[in-house]
Amino acid sequence: MADLAGVNGQREHFRVVGKPNLPGILSYSLATGIAKFGIDYVVPNMLEARFLRSPYANARVVSVDTTRARAIPGVVDIVTWEDEDIKKLGQSPFGGKSRPYLDNIADYEGAEVGVIVIAENEDICEEALRQLDVEWEILPHVVDILEGRKPDAPVIRPPEFNEIPPGMFDPRPDPNHPKKGNVSFAITIDGDIEEGFAEADQVIEYELKLPAFASHIPNPPGSVAWWFDDPYYGGGKSLHIEGAVQRRESVGSMYGLPPEKTVQVGLFQGGKYCDWGMRKSQEITPLLAKRAGRPVRCVNSREETFDFLMKERYMYLKVGFKNNGLITAIDDFSISDGGSQGSSSFGTANDQGYGPYYTFRCKNIRQTMEIVDSNRGKMYLSGQHCPFNWDAGTMAIYLIAEKLGKDPIDIAKVNLHGPDSQDDPRPVPSFEACLEEGKKLMDWKWHPAGTKRLPDGRMHGASFRYQICPRHAFSGYDVKLELRNGEVHLPTQGPCTGIYAVEANAMVVAEELGLEYEDIKVDFDYREKFTPVGGGSDGTTASAWATKECANILKQKILEAVIEEANNPPPPSMFSFGMPQEPSPFKGLKPEDLDMADGKVIVKADPSKGVPLKQATRKNIFATYSGRPPAAIWSLGMGKMLDTMNTAYCEVAVDTETGEVEILRFVVVADPGKVMRLTSLESQIDQVMYFSQGCQLMEEYVYDERTGVKLTNNMIDYKKPTMLDVPPVERKFLETRAGNAAYGASGISHSLANTHMVIIAIHNAIGVWVDPPATPDKILKALGKA
Amino acid sequence: MANEERSRTDVALSHEAAQVKSAEAIRAIPSVLTEFRCPTCGKVFGSYANLQYHYADEHPEFVVPETIVLHINGKDCEVLVEPHWTLQRTLQFRLDLTGAKHMCGKGACGSCTVIIDGRAVLSCITLAVECVGKSITTIEGIAANPKWKPLVDAYCKWDAMQCGYCTPGFLVTAKALLDKNPDPSEDEIREALSGNICICGTYPRHTTAILEAAPQIAAGG
Ligand code: FES
Ligand code: FES
Repeated sequence: MADLAGVNGQREHFRVVGKPNLPGILSYSLATGIAKFGIDYVVPNMLEARFLRSPYANARVVSVDTTRARAIPGVVDIVTWEDEDIKKLGQSPFGGKSRPYLDNIADYEGAEVGVIVIAENEDICEEALRQLDVEWEILPHVVDILEGRKPDAPVIRPPEFNEIPPGMFDPRPDPNHPKKGNVSFAITIDGDIEEGFAEADQVIEYELKLPAFASHIPNPPGSVAWWFDDPYYGGGKSLHIEGAVQRRESVGSMYGLPPEKTVQVGLFQGGKYCDWGMRKSQEITPLLAKRAGRPVRCVNSREETFDFLMKERYMYLKVGFKNNGLITAIDDFSISDGGSQGSSSFGTANDQGYGPYYTFRCKNIRQTMEIVDSNRGKMYLSGQHCPFNWDAGTMAIYLIAEKLGKDPIDIAKVNLHGPDSQDDPRPVPSFEACLEEGKKLMDWKWHPAGTKRLPDGRMHGASFRYQICPRHAFSGYDVKLELRNGEVHLPTQGPCTGIYAVEANAMVVAEELGLEYEDIKVDFDYREKFTPVGGGSDGTTASAWATKECANILKQKILEAVIEEANNPPPPSMFSFGMPQEPSPFKGLKPEDLDMADGKVIVKADPSKGVPLKQATRKNIFATYSGRPPAAIWSLGMGKMLDTMNTAYCEVAVDTETGEVEILRFVVVADPGKVMRLTSLESQIDQVMYFSQGCQLMEEYVYDERTGVKLTNNMIDYKKPTMLDVPPVERKFLETRAGNAAYGASGISHSLANTHMVIIAIHNAIGVWVDPPATPDKILKALGKA
Repeated sequence: MANEERSRTDVALSHEAAQVKSAEAIRAIPSVLTEFRCPTCGKVFGSYANLQYHYADEHPEFVVPETIVLHINGKDCEVLVEPHWTLQRTLQFRLDLTGAKHMCGKGACGSCTVIIDGRAVLSCITLAVECVGKSITTIEGIAANPKWKPLVDAYCKWDAMQCGYCTPGFLVTAKALLDKNPDPSEDEIREALSGNICICGTYPRHTTAILEAAPQIAAGG
């Protein structure tokens, strides 16, 4: 499909959209440090607060004596889980069981538990925490999920937690398999797996480990809150909170406040990459400020911000296929980390039914899963799921190719279904176009594993992967545009999270109104409704579709106003001092005779007749549009319909003497449908490639088995790639205009993020498997050299 | 108060406006302290001597905070700090300079980089009291100085930031490099910036921006 439903979806000429190097509207604030993130706020008379955090992986606070802590000069207040106000905070407005906001149970090391101290400064908070007399009941823990699933493993989750109803992103439980010990069971069956295997000529079985991966929000989360007298909205006190970007209203509602009584001026949030869950430090400050009668700041340290973006998962796959490579059956059994109580399953345990296999023709798929409660840590809402888990499918393609002595790209082509359904035999044009360009860029010549040595003696490996370019199709938008004193304004509440969504929307408005990008004034105001988000570059495509509609409504209103004024000129102002008024060139015309171009209102039939927008009408005009683009194609069929796609390639050199892996290059050929803002789109590709590099070569959660303590929750031991580590990323964008958001765009989202493209290239180099992260010691071990 | 609370967010800035704001932030730092707030109990005193008496009377077991003079962005600023305070914390909590960002707090990411006596230094692992008598340049000082306009412009033109949290740290490191080496090669830039971590993967953008800006800066803007 394409953008057929929207105005100008088929636009052929673009002056602004797609243009590179237009500075971000907020870039000068960011680059110069003027931009304040939650952690940056310091306000007069402010107190600091800290949670007690568990030093144990699984423990219960039996009792706490706060006497010594309270006696420390500068300690202002100590909250415990037994206080009435914090108990109320935990109550669900909809009834039903829910976990108290703060209780005495800690189910991972570092979890907030039992007590919050408020003091004049953070050092006093730390000292007060040390002076608490806490009686702990230390409970057995599980940080190795393969141990935790064993029948004799200690059951780590208190039974009352099992009564909490599942969240919307929890997996579909297996009705025939109730929870046992630490393990819950989930199952999804499509087609007939036995029949699928009966049809197969060959069967392969393989295992893969999807590594846990840190979300690593750049700015450690936290907030500052205070209450102020507010005569404007019903009197009484209103709340000001900073650091709860995009969650102002939901934090306000925790305290019974309507949206208009919660203020947040700050816009900036470090890259979250779908880790949108709020931390307690971002929600608790209003309560603490109310108790203290002063502003209170509470922020996490970096060590306290090592939550998962993706939880660990072991996959065991059995795949049946024909001798031409066509997959006939997939039996997927996974053991997935369920994490601590309240961990999101989105994208890990919850991806059944649409996850890794949705682009295959094969209809016989069984996905069974054991989800193991653990004390490893917490995953807040994450969406890095389908791309990561998709690598079970990437692996199937590679292994079948190896088995058949064929190029994996050919196996992918055999298995990819057509645009409309799994039965559609046609090729997907976007995929074919990406492949053609990708092969050229890569100079793709596939070789079997362990057969190509580079002139410097290292082994050469390459890999290939494809994915859909998924547009998140779930958000609706309320857009407002204003012509104010001759200038076009786009009011928005933001936020600014690094996806340049506001900018892309401004570009669309400029495109539609015949203006330049710089002409569009973006007004940031937390009270505005419009928020151009929706997941990765989706924010620039889906919201921009709604903005495009709104811009055309504004345009129509402007042209009507221009004609109205041309035919009924307003009386000369007292400052025209009797000077004769120029007759309007639009007199006697109709709105449909006019257009907007080059900053002017012009006559369509004679574009030389034009008046600068500022002078064409004196009216202030506004237009609104509420709605959403048509649902993305993939979401209509849960991935069984395809429009825009991407391909990625990786080339490595492996030194078999030292075990070192060098990624020689990544190549990406992607079809976002239509490029909206080139510079940031390129950057988004780089970012997911470096994510992928990090989790496959460097980044690792290491636990002390004995205590369950995370050993690598800091930026020294948990290694992120630096500028000297990252390889070149060669990228090419195609514009098939096949998406149905603005101008046929789909965006990219994080669909190129992966856990196994580098791992597969390493296998292609040395012929043995190494689990991520493939550190030199592991490579040497796999080669039998260590 | 309510009116102030309901102000709009003024952050969509041109380079000139950012320059003015940065200069204002520096100007707003008092050269001399007139208020001495006890970090332990919050009481405010009119002189340092009174604060010292207060400590002797009420917090004898605590170390008395010190007043030191820091030379920041060309200006001498008197500041009240505790002896264990880092420079990053001092900049943020005492001087309202929020450009040196706290990401790791351990000297591992470069987000808090400032320049001290010509060298790029990590302010999260530098004690404020160690900086007395030294010349400190922060991102605000760089942003306020028109000489560095080409660098800031190039950063913005090339999107050398996504979320932007790490960006001031990179920019300060880039300035320290260009001070020493006005015509760096791509490899020299990568080497110089290798201590700065960007979660959002902006690495190649910095090299492009610095390579573009360097000759303009060398030619005097
Ligand atoms: S915050 Fe100073 S180096 Fe990371
Ligand atoms: S731009 Fe987000 S951390 Fe660098």
